[in-house]
Amino acid sequence: MTVTERVARAVDLATNDEAGAVGTGLTFLAAAVAAVLVIPLGWLFVDVLGLGGRAIDLATSATTLAVLARSVALVAVVTAGSVLVGVPLAVLTVQADIPFKRFWTVLAALPLAVPSYLGAFAVVSATGRGGVLANALQPLGVETIPTVDGFTGAALVLTVYTYPYVFLTTRASLLSLDASLVEAARTLNSGRWEAFRRVTLPQILPGVAAGALLVALYTLSDFGTPNIMRVQVFTQFIYARYTGFMQDYAALLSLQLLAVTAVILAVESRIGADDSGAYASGGNRGALSIRLGWLRYPLLVLPLLVGATAILLPIVVFGLWLTNGGPGYAGGSMAFSWTYGWNSLYVALLAAVASVLVALPIALRSAASDSRLAALADRAPYAGYAAPGIVLAIALVSFSLNVVPAFYKTIPLLVFAYVVRFVPQAIGSMRTSTLQVDQTLVEAARTLGRSRFGAFRSVTLPLIAPGIVTGAALVFLTTMKELPATLILRPLGFDTLVTYIWRVQEAGLYGRAALPALVLVVVSGLSMAVILAQEDADDSDTNE
Amino acid sequence: MRDSPRTRRRFLQATAAGSLAGLAGCQGLLGGSSDDERVTIPELATFRGSGAIVEGRPAPGGTSIEELPDLSGELSLYIGGGEGGIYYRFVKMLQEIYPDFTVYQSSAASASLAQNIVKEVQAGAAQADVFWSIDASSLGYVADNDAYEPLPKDVVEPVPEDFQGDDNAWVGVAGRARSVPYNTNQLSESDIPDAVQDFPSAASFPNTVGWAPTYGAFKSFITAMRLLRGPDATREWLVAMRENGAKRFPDEFVVSQRVADGVIPAGFANHYYAMRVKNQRPDAPLALAFTSDDAGALVNVAGALRIKGTEKDQLVNNFIKHLLSAEAQEFFATVSFAYPMIEGVTPVGGLPTIDELNPPDIDLSKLSNLEKTLEIMRNAGVLG
Repeated sequence: MTVTERVARAVDLATNDEAGAVGTGLTFLAAAVAAVLVIPLGWLFVDVLGLGGRAIDLATSATTLAVLARSVALVAVVTAGSVLVGVPLAVLTVQADIPFKRFWTVLAALPLAVPSYLGAFAVVSATGRGGVLANALQPLGVETIPTVDGFTGAALVLTVYTYPYVFLTTRASLLSLDASLVEAARTLNSGRWEAFRRVTLPQILPGVAAGALLVALYTLSDFGTPNIMRVQVFTQFIYARYTGFMQDYAALLSLQLLAVTAVILAVESRIGADDSGAYASGGNRGALSIRLGWLRYPLLVLPLLVGATAILLPIVVFGLWLTNGGPGYAGGSMAFSWTYGWNSLYVALLAAVASVLVALPIALRSAASDSRLAALADRAPYAGYAAPGIVLAIALVSFSLNVVPAFYKTIPLLVFAYVVRFVPQAIGSMRTSTLQVDQTLVEAARTLGRSRFGAFRSVTLPLIAPGIVTGAALVFLTTMKELPATLILRPLGFDTLVTYIWRVQEAGLYGRAALPALVLVVVSGLSMAVILAQEDADDSDTNE
Repeated sequence: MRDSPRTRRRFLQATAAGSLAGLAGCQGLLGGSSDDERVTIPELATFRGSGAIVEGRPAPGGTSIEELPDLSGELSLYIGGGEGGIYYRFVKMLQEIYPDFTVYQSSAASASLAQNIVKEVQAGAAQADVFWSIDASSLGYVADNDAYEPLPKDVVEPVPEDFQGDDNAWVGVAGRARSVPYNTNQLSESDIPDAVQDFPSAASFPNTVGWAPTYGAFKSFITAMRLLRGPDATREWLVAMRENGAKRFPDEFVVSQRVADGVIPAGFANHYYAMRVKNQRPDAPLALAFTSDDAGALVNVAGALRIKGTEKDQLVNNFIKHLLSAEAQEFFATVSFAYPMIEGVTPVGGLPTIDELNPPDIDLSKLSNLEKTLEIMRNAGVLG
């Protein structure tokens, strides 16, 4: 399971398992839970078997290879772009003497809050003939602006919405950087750039790589953006085959997409290997300050520009549609209903609760034991996290129809998909808090006559509660935004905010998407609050 | 867990096994519970679209909703495509007319739903009672895989035989014709070739022809050409068109608009896009020509099919009868500008009637085989 190990390392870098009392039962439970989460993916192989010998022809056909090349190119461009935007912004907000640092930090992280498909939707609608942006620029004598779509459009939108991964991980590295080393280098007559290259860069590289990995995985798995931008990459190609009488072909392509995911994970592990120590807190944290002088003002154009594209543009586009009655209202069909909002809330709550219940034994076990089984149980779920949503959805359709038809397209199956996809977020945050529980307290409680469960309830649970809340919140909010699995697995007549936005988008009734899109942006903004609050809490912990 | 339609359906199946009376009670058999609520059918205007080419139409002939049995009970419906919400709108109108009638619907691409239906029926986990699809190929796919129940003769009768499935597997409810929108300031009807294969060599085009190769209807058109004339001739035609400077657009609505703007003199598009442009801009110099007896004259239909394993035969039949009522056909003709499927309703905007068109003799359900078509398009350097 080296692949999943590597994902585990990338997604959650705090993996110093401590030996503890062995609860074999708990370990097996954790392993069983982990297995159930992974098995459905295996069903893709069963589907592909149906293709027989054609599978190899299709997998190596010119079309498939062209899509492969395009997907890899998109991943490369977006990852490079994210590093080029994210690293300077991190340096700027951590080390430079810019005014209102906190504001710029939040602004730079904020694009992560907006689902990229909403961004893509806004960009496509704003540009081109008769777009919002084109109309706004008309008084200035600008006749038409070209439609931003296709490969360029997808690369632009994905970069703008995913660079915060690099920004946040690089920022974390910079904050834990031992500034005295850089100062020493400077004293030894290294120039500022040389000091950065020889001292700072090697120390923050694992952080940059971790962020770049998340960007690459997101780009490869993103479903909405390439579909809206009409660029033929894997997810778009799979969806087109899936909806075009070629579902076995779609399963085959899904496996290929999984393979590319594995390659990306392997490449990252080369860069980031054994450097997780760079995350450890050094001595003189973040004290280094770069004096930019007058340069600091022009440099602020970068976060402003990115913020305007990623945050302002969608809010303005959807806001205008909402107030002016955007395109598509005239038909009077497909009216919005708040039921969709309640449905989103309902499944997201179920997913959050279920994820906590699943994550609890895994997190407890992995924090307390260093047995191989516990480690495996801990890491196996990351396969679901790395698997693109559309791949998981296709696997689950096949799995449920063949094995448990009673669950096909039911709420429990949908929630199961969310758990498979998002439970690692809960495991990560719960394990971190579990590691901080002082086992002597639990032992004291046991000595004082509490049962195992009693000790857990009165000592451990209250201590890990913040981790549980954070984990639940992350699962809740990512479920609210999830698109492909919801689209494919939702029960008959069950629409959520996201599937409604997708339906009106496909039908060309763009204006209808305004209200649910704005609701989603606000709800997603809350996810940013959770992430930033968590970062603050980490900061204050280490500062003590 | 939410009380989803499928659990309801399971419940009904269980009850049916227990006693027939239970089933009848649950379903509220015809008129059973709507005795005291008089059903009122809204006036025709409610079913009619608005705009330049819709006004002043005669009242439609055919069977009125008033003459049909009331709808009551719960129906699970798969809507394929849905024409931008137009199908939803009609289903909603039916539910407003009949307070005891509830529809649980789910929409996705027609082809995707067709495959799901087949898999579901094979797994014994059918979700829906009716499949209302935007094209005949997905209906044909369900029929070929034996996941349908034949419709009774009196349901399919009003529709021409070309637009019925074999064994009454499905029935067309609205038609879509391939057409050639042209700019009347730049061309006259006689400039448009009568055969689609003459387009690359047509001297009459002052500029270029517009097309939308990524669009589903275009791919069906090329599939039809492949079936009629073989892969080599199809590829040659595509190459010739491309080398002649065919101009690419994102979809066929845009093609029709650009023809009306005079950007391109002519294009390939489904007929209703030009009608949409004409309805908004009555003075647009835009008209439609049709080729004859070839892929360019393909008529595809949206249609309805009863899914195998449904316990609601009677309700499904009555529902489909409603889709073929005078009011429904007038609705499809004037709101989505589709070709009506029954005799009493005329198409909008002076279009030829469906029997005046000369579509090729082709099994519409064969249009689902897209893989070879995409391969030919790719070889011809026309990416779909």
